[in-house]
Amino acid sequence: MVPSCHPSGPSHLVHNFSVFTCNACDLSFKYLFRLDLLTDLVVAKHARRLAISIPPRGRLSTLNDDAPPSHLTTTLPHRPAVHPLTFADRFSSRSKIVFHYLRCNLIYTKVPFNAQTTLVSALVFLFGSQTPPHTKIAPVEIQILKPYRAPSMAKQRPSLLLLLSLISLLLSPPPAFSFSDESPTARRILVLVDDLALRSSHSIFFDSLVSRGYQLEFKLADDPSLSLQRYGQFLYDGLVLFAPSVSRFGGSLDQSKVLEFVDAGHDLILAVDSNASDLVRGIATDSGADFDEDPEAVVIDHLSYAVSDADGDHTLIASDNLIKSNVILGDKAIEAPILFRGIGHSVNPANTLVLKALTASPSAYSANPKTKLSSPPSLTGSSISLVSVMQARNNARVLISGSLELFSNRFLRSSVQKAGSKTIYDKSGNEQFVTEAAKWVFHERGHLKAVNVKHNKVGETTEPGIYRINDDLEYSVEIYEWSGKRWEPYVADDVQVQFFMMSPYVLKTMSTNKKGLYSTSFKVPDVYGVFQFKVEYERLGYTSLSLAKQIPVRPFRHNEYERFIPAAFPYYAASFSTMGAFFIFSIVYLYHK
Amino acid sequence: MAKGTNDAKLLIQSLRKAYAATPTSLKIIDLYVVYAVATALIQVAYMAMVGSFPFNSFLSGVLSCVGTAVLAVCLRIQVNKDNKEFKDLPPERAFADFVLCNLVLHLVIMNFLG
Repeated sequence: MVPSCHPSGPSHLVHNFSVFTCNACDLSFKYLFRLDLLTDLVVAKHARRLAISIPPRGRLSTLNDDAPPSHLTTTLPHRPAVHPLTFADRFSSRSKIVFHYLRCNLIYTKVPFNAQTTLVSALVFLFGSQTPPHTKIAPVEIQILKPYRAPSMAKQRPSLLLLLSLISLLLSPPPAFSFSDESPTARRILVLVDDLALRSSHSIFFDSLVSRGYQLEFKLADDPSLSLQRYGQFLYDGLVLFAPSVSRFGGSLDQSKVLEFVDAGHDLILAVDSNASDLVRGIATDSGADFDEDPEAVVIDHLSYAVSDADGDHTLIASDNLIKSNVILGDKAIEAPILFRGIGHSVNPANTLVLKALTASPSAYSANPKTKLSSPPSLTGSSISLVSVMQARNNARVLISGSLELFSNRFLRSSVQKAGSKTIYDKSGNEQFVTEAAKWVFHERGHLKAVNVKHNKVGETTEPGIYRINDDLEYSVEIYEWSGKRWEPYVADDVQVQFFMMSPYVLKTMSTNKKGLYSTSFKVPDVYGVFQFKVEYERLGYTSLSLAKQIPVRPFRHNEYERFIPAAFPYYAASFSTMGAFFIFSIVYLYHK
Repeated sequence: MAKGTNDAKLLIQSLRKAYAATPTSLKIIDLYVVYAVATALIQVAYMAMVGSFPFNSFLSGVLSCVGTAVLAVCLRIQVNKDNKEFKDLPPERAFADFVLCNLVLHLVIMNFLG
């Protein structure tokens, strides 16, 4: 394999100035190399693979002892010998080919990398024609022609968009801390009054709200600049309507806008009195409280009135028929009766969302105190609701009171004595009642959230995507109650989970660890299908929890059945005993005498 | 009726006497058949009680008993010297057939037993 570079003698050394184009990467190599047999093979293989056409060569190129294979020798147009090669250059040029070939095959692999060719290339690389030490070969120029596909590096400009967004962020108004899932308490409350004197006459109530962190904004009900939302965002989180006589709201507000406000999940406190307008009555009716249609009627109670009444027409009522709910009215019982003067409303008993917070006594009725009764009054007795609360399905809360004076400083501070009873209470129950009710309405109490629903097989921690029948699984959920400032663990013993598919197959009461974690474990029923873990929790005064998590349940795989069926043990025994008997019989039969 | 019972007793006695005269090998086969059939009947009674839930196991158990009983009866027929039909059949051949068929039967039974 030792070539001779002797110029004398037969010119068996052909320096071929060949141009090869690598189809894979469009780089053209111009190089010089000795086409010895092995290189030929490599090149031929390379060429065949990459569809390079080799310019034909002269038959005098082969200097090896072995005769070249005929297919590799073709006639070449004679080209003058150009530069003799240095060992390094030849080495490098060959290695360039080899490495280029390797690189092409690796990077642009459309052609699978042939190990055989690699080996050949490596062999060429290692043992390829090497110049004898005495030969002087001048360096050869290896030009890499300009590649056709130059990689383009796109220059990175500073993002104008980013700059603009930063500027806009700085200039925009800071977001108000408002109603959100993480902090359900309202913050900004709009108080609509029809007389700004209410601000002072009901100051104790408003101050109690302010002291709990609400931002109250007082506006007249016919203020032309009224609006509840701007650009699709609500400006307030709660509404207090102490404007019974307003017939038309100012600005863009009207009955439907108020109801839209409630439908969006915000809370409303509505108080009317004997001169309630149709607008306010309409809002109340849409919230479930139907006021007495007679505009002159007020609630009169001849047996349960407050003794301090100066009028004597028994329209000032002292009522202590409160709803029994610690969520709505607080843990501490309200002992003193609550003073009320105003109109009564009724609540549809079929309506499950409305509750009567303060009911009139059975002896109350709703009528005009100035005129004689000509016919029995339509609203009588305990069906008269003095104060109602409503929790909508989207957990918005509405409080409707038939008396605006219930909230007034006068009633809050006055002492009360119920007619017919000897006890005089120094302070009426109004303050406690309105404070606690307002707390409930503005979600400071009774607002639940359920997080972290987890289910897994007993003994595992990951949540599987599918269960098998007769698996043991455990389910857990964390329920928290908003305390006005933070989420406290909710403690109850009646939270149930259903394993539901069209009907609950499993219904289990969950046990709690008193830190808000409710968990239980049960066996998957022997039915396969797509089930749901359902928690439907609706309690009086609390927001409703409705969780559903779907999970499929599969039947046994063929290898999950029990291997030996206990019911079939007699059959197993019989079969084996028959075999044994056959064996013994054949022995006995053969060897008996 | 006294005569009836007398006749029955006589009948049974004559049967016993005749049976005692059979060769021992046939008696062994008879015993084996009785055992197999009894086992089969026990299984049927069990199935009647608890139901046929693993029906394949039931069939496998019953058929192993019945099958082997049938094969034993065949063996008895072929081995009995009084039987003129099988006069030329060597009893070893009959026994070999019996063993082979039992092997096949029990192979099938093992598979079907589940």
